[in-house]
Amino acid sequence: MASIALKSFIGLRQNTAEKPHLMTAQTKPSSLNPRKLRVVASKSSPRLTNRNLRVAVIGGGPAGGAAAETLAKGGVETYLIERKLDNAKPCGGAIPLCMVGEFDLPLDIIDRRVTRMKMISPSNVAVDIGQTLKPHEYIGMVRREVLDAYLRDRAQASGAEIINGLFLKMDMPRDGESPYVLHYTGYGGKAGAVGEKRTLEVDAVIGADGANSRVAKAIGAGDYDYAIAFQERIKIPDDKMAYYQNLAEMYVGDDVSPDFYGWVFPKCDHVAVGTGTVTHKGDIKKFQLATRNRAKDKILGGQIIRVEAHPIPEHPRPRRLSGRVALVGDAAGYVTKCSGEGIYFAAKSGRMCAEAVVEGSENGKRMVNEGDLRKYLEKWDKTYWPTYKVLDVLQKVFYRSNPAREAFVEMCADEYVQKMTFDSYLYKTVVPGNPWEDLKLAVNTIGSLVRANALRREMDKLSV
Amino acid sequence: MPISMALFSPPTHPPSLSPSISPKTHLTVKPHLSLRQPKTPFFLLSTTRASADNGAGTSASAATALEPEAGQKVAEPPQPVVEKDASSAGANGSAGAAEAVEVKVVSKFEDPRWVEGTWDLKQFEKDGKPDWDAVIDAEAKRRKWLEGKPESSSNDDPIVFDTSIIPWWAWTKRFHLPEAELLNGRAAMIGFFMAYLVDSLTGVGLVDQMGNFFCKTLLFVAVVGVLVIRKNEDIENLKKLLEETTFYDKQWQATWQDETPGGSKNQ
Repeated sequence: MASIALKSFIGLRQNTAEKPHLMTAQTKPSSLNPRKLRVVASKSSPRLTNRNLRVAVIGGGPAGGAAAETLAKGGVETYLIERKLDNAKPCGGAIPLCMVGEFDLPLDIIDRRVTRMKMISPSNVAVDIGQTLKPHEYIGMVRREVLDAYLRDRAQASGAEIINGLFLKMDMPRDGESPYVLHYTGYGGKAGAVGEKRTLEVDAVIGADGANSRVAKAIGAGDYDYAIAFQERIKIPDDKMAYYQNLAEMYVGDDVSPDFYGWVFPKCDHVAVGTGTVTHKGDIKKFQLATRNRAKDKILGGQIIRVEAHPIPEHPRPRRLSGRVALVGDAAGYVTKCSGEGIYFAAKSGRMCAEAVVEGSENGKRMVNEGDLRKYLEKWDKTYWPTYKVLDVLQKVFYRSNPAREAFVEMCADEYVQKMTFDSYLYKTVVPGNPWEDLKLAVNTIGSLVRANALRREMDKLSV
Repeated sequence: MPISMALFSPPTHPPSLSPSISPKTHLTVKPHLSLRQPKTPFFLLSTTRASADNGAGTSASAATALEPEAGQKVAEPPQPVVEKDASSAGANGSAGAAEAVEVKVVSKFEDPRWVEGTWDLKQFEKDGKPDWDAVIDAEAKRRKWLEGKPESSSNDDPIVFDTSIIPWWAWTKRFHLPEAELLNGRAAMIGFFMAYLVDSLTGVGLVDQMGNFFCKTLLFVAVVGVLVIRKNEDIENLKKLLEETTFYDKQWQATWQDETPGGSKNQ
């Protein structure tokens, strides 16, 4: 069926008549002999005549916007399909400093610069971190609708075509040269709110459609464990808002979340109070109440203006790539453990994947194949694997139990820890650090954990 | 904390409560101290008003406050008070979503030796030196209390206690030494028994056993075993721990499992 549909479509394009011809002539050599010194599979892919490579990016969030921009700048015919152009995605909204530089973000899309954080332990020991930050360093808080729109507009300005539509499914190609046929419901124009079914033929697809990715389903990428993050936007009185001027809070404890943390993040003119969990999703409202209780004094007199929840992937999907379809961002599952950070990694993975496509297709002149997209996965895993692993270890060690969390907060009081944490977070590299200080840190960590666990044993003996 | 800031009889309209009533129909945030009603957080339509009772007079600093109407802000100083939270996502703030108010009294953690967010070591003195065991006990009690009744963290009253003020030898004496004694005892018993057994079976005496590589290995295994397996559950725990350390890596490698021998990346 797909082939029949394709045949009729091909008739509309006069250039594709030559393509099969090229293909048969060159499929043999392409698998045997690369033409250039660098052994790169795609370099021997057939050149596309009279057209550029067509790539569709499904999903217009940070990952999609970044991918579309890079593709368009690289000379690829880019389509960005987004179902809701004014979507205000529920999100923590924190971006690291390096994202501002790497993605040339204008400073006015950053609502707040968080330069201090408070970590609060189960027994309410509060530790201020952020003294080690330099004056120009901060964590940016953004509104997703603003950030996403900015990146999409920039992609559009670079030549990508933005389609307001909801991706439904796609037909797989029969061979390495046939296009993917995307089925989507197009909105806007005469289609109106109901939308009309349309199709689009592209050579490659980048799935940037988030945690419930349909592209992932279409390629059988598999499932991942996910956390539910529940958040309430609360407008608090000005004097209380002043406290959160550039401060974000993190609450840890079994009451707040058994495997994550509760937070109070300042937004443009209100705060977002939320929590999350992987293992006890049914109790999320209870955890939210506990979070609000822990921050009670500081948000007293506030009004809830919005309640939202969203899933957060815990680890990458079993398959992030299939044929000429690659997943990026939340769709791939690139959210770190421990902090649950996803915006930067989404945008960066979108960009990296697009770069791989641009390179593999030599700026849109050649067809790409799976090998080119694999390069993006290789580069991604190599660059960010240490970051993910370290955060995973931190989560496993410090979010295990209340004593571990107490130790965690105690450790955060240490200046070296603060410096390492912020350096890693803001610049997204695992900084090696001073070995002597690392040793002291290791000893102190063990000490904290031992003390906290010893106290826990005492607590168990008490029958309060 | 002032005690009787807000005592009201049930169905009242306390515009005096909130200095600035918001005209919006949003529902207010009412922090919920008790976790005893997990099932009915948001969609309460009952109008059961508990009377302003002072509840169990467990502590002197308890107070109650009521807010009968939705859409009003409570602007009073922080009280160790529990009110039922009736905020409902997007519900109309008018009578349709009146909150049920249930008043419970929960007291804060109080202890004469807990001063300004930390333990006052002077009050723990015994023979002129702080009694670290008592400090440890006190902190354990405090944490236990808070685990059952989580308190709100306050800026005016920050908690700055750090367990590292208790010197390492106090921890060692209290926690490590008894366990060390236990483990050494176990190791000694196993050692004696195994040495006897090997001697009776092979005739090799203790000193000669120590020279043998195989025996040294067995000794090592015995010591490690005693250290690592202290309770029956530890065997299972260790297996799970081992699996846990590599689980995340496996999740990341999954995408490379089905991959052509082009470029596998092993990290």
